[in-house]
Amino acid sequence: MGLFAGCGDQHPSPRFALNKKTLELDKIAREPIVKALQENFGEPNRLIAWQKFPFDYGVADPKAADASRHEAGWRLKEGRELYMRHCLHCHGVSGDGDGPTARFLNPRPRDYRAGVFKFTSTLSGLKPSHDDLKRTLQNGIPGTTMPSFIVLEKGPGNEENLDLIVDYVRWLSARGELELKLVSELAAMGGRKSEIEQRVAEGKKGESSDTLESIMADLKKSIADGFADALQESASDLADSWARVEQPESVVRPKVKRTRPDQESIKRGRAIFLSKEAKCADCHGPAGLGNGSLTEDFWDIPNTNPVQKYKRPGLHDAWGEPQMPRNLTSGVYRGGRRPVDLYRRVFAGIKGTQMPAFGTVLNDAQIWDVVNYAMSLPFHGEQSPYPEEAPEAAPAKKVASSQH
Amino acid sequence: MRKAWSLFFLAAAVVAVAACWAAPGMHWWFPQKSPGGHAVSPLGNQIDDLFYLILVITSVTFIGTQAMLAFVLWKYEAAPGRRSAFTHGSHSLEVIWSVVPAGIMLFIALYQMDVWARYRIQSRFDPYAFEHPIAEVTARQFEWRIRYPAPGKTLQAKPQPDDLYTVNDFHIPLGRPVMFQLRSDDVLHSFFLPHHRVKQDAVPGMTIPVWFESTQTGEFELVCAELCGWGHYKMRGQITAQREEEFQEYLKKLSQSQFDDGVLAANAAGAQQAPAGEEKP
Ligand code: HEC
Ligand code: HEC
Ligand SMILES: [Cu+2]
Repeated sequence: MGLFAGCGDQHPSPRFALNKKTLELDKIAREPIVKALQENFGEPNRLIAWQKFPFDYGVADPKAADASRHEAGWRLKEGRELYMRHCLHCHGVSGDGDGPTARFLNPRPRDYRAGVFKFTSTLSGLKPSHDDLKRTLQNGIPGTTMPSFIVLEKGPGNEENLDLIVDYVRWLSARGELELKLVSELAAMGGRKSEIEQRVAEGKKGESSDTLESIMADLKKSIADGFADALQESASDLADSWARVEQPESVVRPKVKRTRPDQESIKRGRAIFLSKEAKCADCHGPAGLGNGSLTEDFWDIPNTNPVQKYKRPGLHDAWGEPQMPRNLTSGVYRGGRRPVDLYRRVFAGIKGTQMPAFGTVLNDAQIWDVVNYAMSLPFHGEQSPYPEEAPEAAPAKKVASSQH
Repeated sequence: MRKAWSLFFLAAAVVAVAACWAAPGMHWWFPQKSPGGHAVSPLGNQIDDLFYLILVITSVTFIGTQAMLAFVLWKYEAAPGRRSAFTHGSHSLEVIWSVVPAGIMLFIALYQMDVWARYRIQSRFDPYAFEHPIAEVTARQFEWRIRYPAPGKTLQAKPQPDDLYTVNDFHIPLGRPVMFQLRSDDVLHSFFLPHHRVKQDAVPGMTIPVWFESTQTGEFELVCAELCGWGHYKMRGQITAQREEEFQEYLKKLSQSQFDDGVLAANAAGAQQAPAGEEKP
C-alpha cells in the first residue's frame, strides 16, 4: 500500500510554482496575483491562451486531419508537449530554470521569468525575437549544456516544432515576468510581509498610529482600487515589448559591411580592445583570456538598499550567478559565430550579463575592427575568420596518392 | 500429460523461429529506408552478408538442437517401471562438439577478415577519401559537432579561420567513399549510423578516421551507441546524403551564412565586396 502511495505522490499533476518573490508577500497581497495567473494562464494541464499577448496560440482549424487542431489554442498545447518532453528537466515546469537537472549545471539553465535573454539580434534592453530563440534551439549554446534541438524539426510534419516550442517559451516567460511585475506593484502598495511586520512593530512602540487592522484595511483598499488596472497595464506593457521586437527597427543591423580582417584592421581592433572607452580588456583581460582586472573586484548586488556586495569577487549575471567574461582565445561563441552575431554582442551587449552595450560608444567601423580582433584571438591575432576565395574547387575524382 | 512438457519446449523454439521469420515483414528487422531494409552502403551490405551467414549457422544449430531436445523429451519421458541409465559421457561426442564449433569459429574468423580490413585498416581505405577527410566530427555530451574545411580546402587537425561548423546536422556527398575524423570532447561515445551499418567508438584523446559510402540520397539517423551520461538518449543527429553538386552547394550556403555580416543589401551600396548571407536561421 505504502509503495503505491509513494508512486502516486511522485507524479502529481504538474503545477506552475509561485515565484519566491511572490511568497515574500502577505497572503492578502498574494491572493490577487495567484488569481490573476490562474485566470489568465491556467495550469500546465489547463492552459489559457490570453489574447492580450502577440503569440500565435493556434486558431481552430476544423478541417485539419489532426483532430487536436480542431480547437483553438492547439499550438500552445503542442508547444507544451514538446517543452515537457525536451526542456522541462532543465528549465522547469514554470520556466524558472530549476528543473531536476539544473542543480548540476554551470551555467544554470535560463530562468525565463525575468524576461531577459542573452543572445538576441535586438537592440539593448529589448526582448529576443522569435527567430532569435529559434536559432538558439537550432544551434544550442556551444560551451554550455544547452543542447541543439535541430533534429526536432527534421522529417515530414515536424517543420514547425521549434516554432511551437518557442511560442510556449515566450508564453511561459510572459507569465513569469507578469508575476514579477505584479509582485512589485503589490510591494509598492505595502504588501510585503517584512514591511507589514515592521510597521506593526513601530505601531506597537507608539512610533506611528498603525495597527495590523489599519494596515490590512489600507492594503485591501489599495488592491481593490488599483490592482485591476495594474494587471491590465503590466500585461499591455509586456505584450508591447514582445510585439515590438518583431519590428525591423528593433533589430541591430550594421550599416557598413564588415571590414576585411587584414592586419591593419586587427591592429586597430586591438587598440580599441585595450582602450579606455571600450575597456574590453578590463573584463576579458589584455590577452582575451577572460581574466581582466574587473573579475577580481567585489561588485554591488543591483537593486539592494542599503547596497550589499556579492560574497564572491568577479562578475555576476542578472540571476545573481557568478560568471566569467568569455575566454576569447577558445573560439567558442555561445551566441553564434557569424560576424553579425559578434557585432550584435558588442553593439547591444549581452543582456542579463555585465557585458555592456557599445553601440553608442563605438561606430560601425570600430565595432568591426574590434570584432575582427576578437575573432583573431583563437588564431594568435594573426588572421581572423573570413571566407577566402576558394583556390579552385578540388575535383571529386580519385587521385593516386601515397599512404602514410 | 507429461508429454505436454516436450510440446511446450518445442513450442517455445517454434515461436522463436517464427518471430524471427516474421520480423522483416513486421519492420522489426533492419531499419527500413531502402527497399527491403538493405544497407545503404556497399560495405554495409557486406557486413549484412556476414550477419546473415552467422544467422544461418546459428539458426541451423538452434533448430537442430531444439528438435533434438523435443525429440528426446518426447521419446524418453519418464514412465512407470522405466529406470534411468547412468553414463560417464562419450569421449568421441565431446571431441566432435568441440572440434566442429571450433572449426566454424575459425572459418568465420578468417572469412570476415577482408570486410574488417576494408573497414578498419587504413592502408585499405580509398586513397582519395583518406587524403581528403570531409569533416571532423566531435562527440560531446550530448551532441555531435561537425567541422568542415572551407570548400576546396583540406581539413587540418587544428581549426582554421575559414572552417565551417554545424551541430547534429552532417551532410555528405553521395556515391563515393567519404572519410571523417572522429573525436570526443569528454567521455566515450559511439558514432552509429544504423542505415549504413557504421559504428565506431569516439575515444577521448584519440582522432579516429572512419569511412563509409552512401548509395542513397536522403536523411538518415545518427545516434550515440555508447551510454555516455544522463542525456545519452537524446544524443541524436541527422546525416543528409546528397549528390556531389548539391553537397558543394550546401557548403557554399553554409559558408555564406556563417560569414554573414548582417548588412541588408539595400544598405550595402558602395561598400566593398563581401559575401551577402541570408539572415533567417
Ligand atoms: C541540459 C539542460 C538543458 C536542456 C535540456 C535545455 N536547456 Fe535551454 N539552456 C540550458 C542552459 C544551461 C542555458 C543557459 C546558457 C547560458 O546562460 O549561456 C539555457 C538557455 C536557454 C535559453 C536562453 C537563450 C538566451 O538567449 O538567453 C533558451 C530560450 C532555452 N535554453 C530554451 C530551451 C528549450 C526550449 C529547451 C527544450 C527544447 C531547452 N532549452 C532545453 C540548458 C538546457
Ligand atoms: C564588464 C565586463 C565586460 C566588458 C567591459 C566587455 N565584456 Fe565581453 N563579455 C563579458 C561577459 C561576462 C561575457 C560572457 C557573457 C555570457 O555569455 O554569459 C562576455 C562575452 C563576450 C563575447 C562572447 C560572445 C559569445 O557569443 O560567446 C565576446 C565576443 C565579447 N564579450 C567581446 C567583448 C568586446 C569586444 C568588448 C569590448 C568592446 C567586451 N566584450 C567588453 C564581459 C565584458
Ligand atoms: Cu554519447
